[in-house]
Amino acid sequence: MNSLPVYLVVSALLFSLGLLGILQRRNLIGMLIAVELLLNSANLNFMAFNRFLTPDPVTGQVIALFVMGLAAAEAAIGLSIILALYRKMHSINIERAQRLKG
Amino acid sequence: METSSFSFIIQAAFWGTIALTVAGASIAVFPRNILYNVLGLALALTGIAGLYLFLGSFFIALMQLLIYVGAICIAIVFAIMLSQPLHLEIPPRATPKVAMGLAASAVFFVAAVSLALKTNWLPAAARVSDASLWSVENIGHALLTRYELVFEVISLVLLVAIIGAVVTAGFSRRLSQ
Amino acid sequence: MGSLIADPVLLATVLGTNLPFLSMAAILLFTRSNPSLSGKMSVGAIAAAAVCSIFLLAKLYSASPIQYHTLWLSSDRLNIAFGYYLDPLSLLTLAIVGVVACLVQIYSLGYMAGDPGYSRYYAFQSLFAWAMMNMVIAGSMLQLFVFWEMVGLASYFLIGFYYEKWSASQAGKKAFVMNRVGDVGFFLGLIWLVIGFGNLGIPELNHAASSNALPQSLLTVSALLIFCGVVGKSAQFPLLTWLPDAMEGPTPVSALLHSATMVAAGVYMFSRLFPFFAASPDAMVIALAIGTVTMLLSSTMAMVTYDLKQVWAYSTVSQLGMMVMALAAGGYFAGVFHLTTHAGFKALLFLCSGIFIHEFHTNDMRIIGKQGGRKLKIPLVCMTIGALALSGFPGLSGFFSKEAILGQLATQPSKIWLYAGLLGAVMTAYYSFRLIFHILLPKGGIEEKHHAEHAHSSHEHEEEHHGYIFWAMAIPVMILAGLTLVLGWIEHPLEHFLTSHVVQAHPVQHVAEHAAEHGGGGGWLMITGISAGLLGIFAAWFEYGRKGASRKGFLSYFPAIWKLFDYRWFLDMFYRRSLDTFVYGGLTSLFTKNDRRIIDGGIDGICLLTEGSGRVFSFLQSGMLQYNLLIMVLAAGAAVLYFLY
Repeated sequence: MNSLPVYLVVSALLFSLGLLGILQRRNLIGMLIAVELLLNSANLNFMAFNRFLTPDPVTGQVIALFVMGLAAAEAAIGLSIILALYRKMHSINIERAQRLKG
Repeated sequence: METSSFSFIIQAAFWGTIALTVAGASIAVFPRNILYNVLGLALALTGIAGLYLFLGSFFIALMQLLIYVGAICIAIVFAIMLSQPLHLEIPPRATPKVAMGLAASAVFFVAAVSLALKTNWLPAAARVSDASLWSVENIGHALLTRYELVFEVISLVLLVAIIGAVVTAGFSRRLSQ
Repeated sequence: MGSLIADPVLLATVLGTNLPFLSMAAILLFTRSNPSLSGKMSVGAIAAAAVCSIFLLAKLYSASPIQYHTLWLSSDRLNIAFGYYLDPLSLLTLAIVGVVACLVQIYSLGYMAGDPGYSRYYAFQSLFAWAMMNMVIAGSMLQLFVFWEMVGLASYFLIGFYYEKWSASQAGKKAFVMNRVGDVGFFLGLIWLVIGFGNLGIPELNHAASSNALPQSLLTVSALLIFCGVVGKSAQFPLLTWLPDAMEGPTPVSALLHSATMVAAGVYMFSRLFPFFAASPDAMVIALAIGTVTMLLSSTMAMVTYDLKQVWAYSTVSQLGMMVMALAAGGYFAGVFHLTTHAGFKALLFLCSGIFIHEFHTNDMRIIGKQGGRKLKIPLVCMTIGALALSGFPGLSGFFSKEAILGQLATQPSKIWLYAGLLGAVMTAYYSFRLIFHILLPKGGIEEKHHAEHAHSSHEHEEEHHGYIFWAMAIPVMILAGLTLVLGWIEHPLEHFLTSHVVQAHPVQHVAEHAAEHGGGGGWLMITGISAGLLGIFAAWFEYGRKGASRKGFLSYFPAIWKLFDYRWFLDMFYRRSLDTFVYGGLTSLFTKNDRRIIDGGIDGICLLTEGSGRVFSFLQSGMLQYNLLIMVLAAGAAVLYFLY
């Protein structure tokens, strides 16, 4: 069934899984992995719309490229932040980072 | 466009790819072992690349494999290996937190799916069914003419990201010494 | 203003009554630090006031009552005027107040010399004089009430004059509170009158009452309520225990306020509204009963106390009771005449006691006697004259007034009042001369060992005595003694003066008839009265004055009765108990609980609520990233679902 709703449902599923990962994983790198899933599901959405709805298919592909580039940048910076945090609190357990607790 | 038996195989491949993607995503989220998670991520990303193929863009599928699986996943693996988080203890997870997370994502899933299914998706009137529009050449041409800004911005973003990552890592090293 | 200057009567009235106010204001504002100037200013003001009052008395001697008034408060049915009402009664009382206050203030120049609160004392004396004089000539009941309260205020200030002493400030408070209790009734009576009658002017009230224009119920209720004020101010039963305690104030204060003038204000008010009260026989009977009980009770209390001033304080209460008895029995002139003579000899007695106290620095009559009290000739002689007058010794002023009262009591249908009056006379003579004999003939004679030192110091004192302090105290005493000797003989002119202009009402005609009867048919009554007084004097001499007398008093053989009298018939204990249970235990604890639990608790509760809810909500700021994200996602999803379905 190569139709739009399938892809949309699949991307929703991926997004939910990614969300679950963010909300309940305590390992920072695990959270980063889940964030990648999120970005990918969005990308999938774009590509699906590109295939079924857009007049000029080049648009969606350029967007998808853009998102991929951004995801790469974000992963790099995220990792260096995790590194800095690790050096500060000697743990990558996110529940240790509660300095904003009020 | 294909024959029925051929289309059956394609259908099966389609659903198999989806299954692979979902399985990979599950492996990326649920297990405690971080290496399992990374490998699950790689699997999911590969599945998504396959889906891109089904969506008609060979170039983007290859890019996905190249960038995500080839660069990002490997970077994460490097980070895991070099920062030794495997040996750090993780306290047991709290059930309410898991339950609430499940509930939140379930709610969101339901919302997104219902949005997707309820909406009447109208294809644009000026759709042209032309195979040449899907070529790499077309993408390259668009990137350098119509989407020139996108091209420049992405390169700028990547530059800033690299510098930022280096600086952050350097600062934190100096501060923690 | 023009009419003020042109009319000498009005001028004298306004000037005389308000000069003491100016003196008080000047002292309080300017001359606090200059005692002698304050004293002189105050004495000058009161002397001028006394002169004005005597001038008024002389000028208006045979004139009909004059009334000045301006409308002060006017609404629908209610018209309250402020002004002066100068009739014989008010003029006479004004003169009494002026003269006695003047004498007492001169006396205080000597008595209070050297006291650190000298200026304050004279300021309050002026306040009292002003308030009392204005009260006397008030033309409307509301005006009288205002100045009545101010007199109470002056009394409070003066009783608590030595405020560093706990008992003195407590006594001041007690006096004020008890007066206030009575004044609540008074004010309720005034309100009742305003509702029922609409006008509070004194001549109007008297006229309306005597011409039967007021319904009986209104009369009785308001009369009884107004009588509450009399009970409070003139220390009748049950509000009588403040007066003995009021002796904590300086002796001149006791002489002026708590014997001659302030406590007489209640009796004065009674006689002012005499036609009004007389029109309600029920109120009169109740007043008669209260007066009798007061008289007997306080006489018993005076028989057991050794404190010089307390004896005269109880005696004042007792004599006030007698005045109330006289007025309540219908004897307008008898009551007022006794008021006049009592002012004279009671002030005399207090001032003489003051000389003794000033000299020996103690109130105890036994100690004064032992330390040579009888060596002070002038006070002793004057005090004996006063005591004789109090006991009703023939020839002195007290004799005439007491006879008038007994005569009036004899006209009552039931003879019990007369017997009570006679018993009171016996007791009065007994306790007065008990005191005199204690000082005159002390037990065991005057102590010799103090004699040498005392002689030495008394020589110094002699020199000082012949200084101005001695004469400042001696002269008023001698003047009052002279008045006591003389005042009784002008009974008949005084009677004519007072009663000829009173509204011709039934009870007053009653008095006029009996005035005629009194001269002839009351012979046996006079003899009974004299013998009652002599019996009391003899009993006192028997117990204290004789050589070899036991000096214990017959009451000491009945310790239970002694205790009863000594503890003021347990009235004070009763008041203490009821205060503690009802007011402190009940009301104040209720209010304290309200303040602590409800008001404070409410405010604290708001704080705690804010704090607590803040604490509850602060869990949202857990600092945990994932919870924040969770809420965000939930909210977003819920919003989408809401809009879809």
